[in-house]
Amino acid sequence: MKKPKVAFFDFTCCEGCQLQVANLGEELLDLLGVIDVVEFREVMSEKWEGDFDVAIVEGSITDAHGAERIKKIRERCKVLIAYGSCATIGGVNGMKNGFDLGEIGKYVYGSSYHFFPTEETRPVHDVVKVDYFVNGCPIYLPEFKEVLKAALQGIPYHVPDYAVCVECRLNENVCMYEKGVSCLGPVTRGGCNSWCVNNGNICYGCRGMVSNPNQKGMKDVLTRYNVPLDQIMNKMGMYNRCREKK
Amino acid sequence: MEKTVINDSNYRIRKGKVIRTRQMTPHEKLFEIALDGGRSLDHEPGQFVMVSMFGVGEAPISVCSSPTNRGYFELCVRAVGRVTGTMHRLEAGDEIGIRGPFGKGFPIRVLEGNDLLIVAGGLGIVPLRSLINFVFDNRRDFGKVHTLLGCKTEGDILFGDELERWMKRIDVHYECTLDKAAPEWAGHVGLITTLLPGVHLEPERTFAIVVGPPIMFRFVIKELLAKKIPESQILVSLERHMKCGMGKCGHCQIQDYYCCTDGPVFNYSDIKHIKEAM
Amino acid sequence: MSSSQYVILRKDNFDGFISRLSKLQKLVAPVSKGHNNFSFEEVTSGEEVAVRYIPTILPPKKYLMPQRETLLEFNVSKGLESTPVVEHEKTTIFGVHTCDIAGIQCLNMVFSTRPRDFNYLTRKGATTIIGLECNDYCDEYASCALVNANLPNGGYDLFFTDMGEYFIVHVNTQAGEDIIEAAKFFEEAGDDQLKALASLREKKREIFKNEVPIDPRKIPELFDKSFDSKVWEELGERCIACGNCTNVCPTCYCFDVKDEMNLELKGGRRYRVWDSCQVEPFATVAGNHNFRKERAERQKHRYFRKFRYHVDKYHRLFCTGCGAGGAAEPAWLG
Repeated sequence: MKKPKVAFFDFTCCEGCQLQVANLGEELLDLLGVIDVVEFREVMSEKWEGDFDVAIVEGSITDAHGAERIKKIRERCKVLIAYGSCATIGGVNGMKNGFDLGEIGKYVYGSSYHFFPTEETRPVHDVVKVDYFVNGCPIYLPEFKEVLKAALQGIPYHVPDYAVCVECRLNENVCMYEKGVSCLGPVTRGGCNSWCVNNGNICYGCRGMVSNPNQKGMKDVLTRYNVPLDQIMNKMGMYNRCREKK
Repeated sequence: MEKTVINDSNYRIRKGKVIRTRQMTPHEKLFEIALDGGRSLDHEPGQFVMVSMFGVGEAPISVCSSPTNRGYFELCVRAVGRVTGTMHRLEAGDEIGIRGPFGKGFPIRVLEGNDLLIVAGGLGIVPLRSLINFVFDNRRDFGKVHTLLGCKTEGDILFGDELERWMKRIDVHYECTLDKAAPEWAGHVGLITTLLPGVHLEPERTFAIVVGPPIMFRFVIKELLAKKIPESQILVSLERHMKCGMGKCGHCQIQDYYCCTDGPVFNYSDIKHIKEAM
Repeated sequence: MSSSQYVILRKDNFDGFISRLSKLQKLVAPVSKGHNNFSFEEVTSGEEVAVRYIPTILPPKKYLMPQRETLLEFNVSKGLESTPVVEHEKTTIFGVHTCDIAGIQCLNMVFSTRPRDFNYLTRKGATTIIGLECNDYCDEYASCALVNANLPNGGYDLFFTDMGEYFIVHVNTQAGEDIIEAAKFFEEAGDDQLKALASLREKKREIFKNEVPIDPRKIPELFDKSFDSKVWEELGERCIACGNCTNVCPTCYCFDVKDEMNLELKGGRRYRVWDSCQVEPFATVAGNHNFRKERAERQKHRYFRKFRYHVDKYHRLFCTGCGAGGAAEPAWLG
């Protein structure tokens, strides 16, 4: 069987997710046994002009140029995987959407801001059809591999639709709320194996919210633990601003 | 941590081979499967098997052939999920993993000697075809047989060639209705409940067997009770997503019952008070 | 009580006993994780063991039914080949409270019922259980007296009761006796010590009173009457579907079965993971119909599984009164 051609692309992002893939180490070699990587800026200088089977896209769409480029990529691939929070939910780039674009442009670039035309941040699926999502900032490598395998097998991958708390409990972490710290685990989609909490950090909501969060119930939780709603909304806003538009 | 082979595991897979496939509609495909070593599946009509697509998962699928066909069994599968979608790629000669059969099927011993009113809505025909063909293969063991089928459109009708043969048989009363039909459709149009008033039956010796989407049960059962069929002579088969098939994993639980071991075929009198059932 | 079945372990021998025990086979015990949280983890010395602890983050059921376990290994490179497997390791669990022992007894019933679950039963056979008595309530969430799980009621090999200067230990099985023999730290219990134990149990009867004003035998009947109660909607409004209540429950055992392919896509494994009836997709069937879409229905299902549905089948309540479900939820539904 011919190995499927896979290309990696990045849009507005920190390229941290590509770095994660590059960090696969020995497993990267196993991976190269089943796929043929034709373009991957982080690890190789070659460019590929032809069509490919799988496009793996990092980053949000934040300007007209990006929107055109992603459309062309979509035309050249059979399967498109959006990976990383920027690509799947808008991520930190979405923070821009909370401001007037002209004003924030001026704030960042000064008086010459009009040389840097910008648009509201959009996750990739708001511009083109996305077949697979790998959430997270950065992506959680075991999940990335699961998604890639699903794509190669041609079967769907369903991002778990339950809270990070589910996996966090299975990992026997002490609940952040019990430590007196607020955490977005209860409303954020699992699938990351509570990676951050396992390592002593809180959940920042980088995987987006569960499909049916209980807002009233969450407010009750915050009241019980004396956490101001604003504080949680601010934390939520770091990754989830693009969600508010819809 | 040690890892040991357990040969008596109930998760052990029986290997089978796809003998023939047939695309029935754009969404449903029929698979004829023979188990390794020519062994019979030895199921009762109404039972299900767990089908393995290794690397993708397992899914519960009703057996749609009669146990009177001993060399093979058939599965009719709609591609709706990961496992069923992958199954659709199988062709003759491919191998397949099977566990089962599982669950309680139709109580054939109880049905024998009685009249049957078989009501199938949509995909409900799949488990019922196993029963219907079993009845045909043992026709003199049963009384009168009425078979009513309801489908959305003509294109959704499964086993159309067999239905035509049923229509010609003198020992079965068969009717089909469509929710929506093209002008050239000569049969009934309307919900399946519209067929029931036209059926003449002796309620005290009739068993009604109903399989269809959740919404259909309530309306059909209301009509059956109005026709004075006793509650204990109404049978239904319920759909849930079994993961283990052995009454453990909890996914198919319907209040007091596990659909995989207590069902999928239930007597209406046992579940009429079970609010989550239908 | 027959004195021959009771022995004494002096407190100054506790550390020696634990380290000796840890050399016999893998030993796990409750350890402190800070913030008044505890979990069962591997130990090799007495000082690691939290002798006083409240219900652990996950109950010790995880040793009989791991959060994730392989059921089957397969290879598809040359036709379909598959082998059912069980992962197991001889393990002693030290310090199991009576509520968690009751939970394991519930799971034993479920997995011993045909068709039997040989993965569970293999691990059950490889597990030694050493109980530890609660002399007082561990926290305000417990309702163990309601379900009679505050006193030892079998299900263990050895059972420790902390008497201050020493532990008095009930030897319940030959496996327990073998440990006593091998550890060499034990002495025969005298009459005074047996009397002291009897009076501790007497005192416990004063401390532990049925926490809920209801006769536990009436609970299933009460549940029958409450199926359409408004209380489920109130619970549903507060429940955030985090799944903590089922994961911490000593008697919850629902699971999902999934496949995982190796990276080269030629072989892999089928495994099961704990699942929760509280999460959105649990009761969904093909075509996305969800039979328990509302959080209220899911909470109701959980309570009915504890107090109603299983009673007919297994003749006991599936609640051990540990209080972990109530304590573990951020929303404090308990």
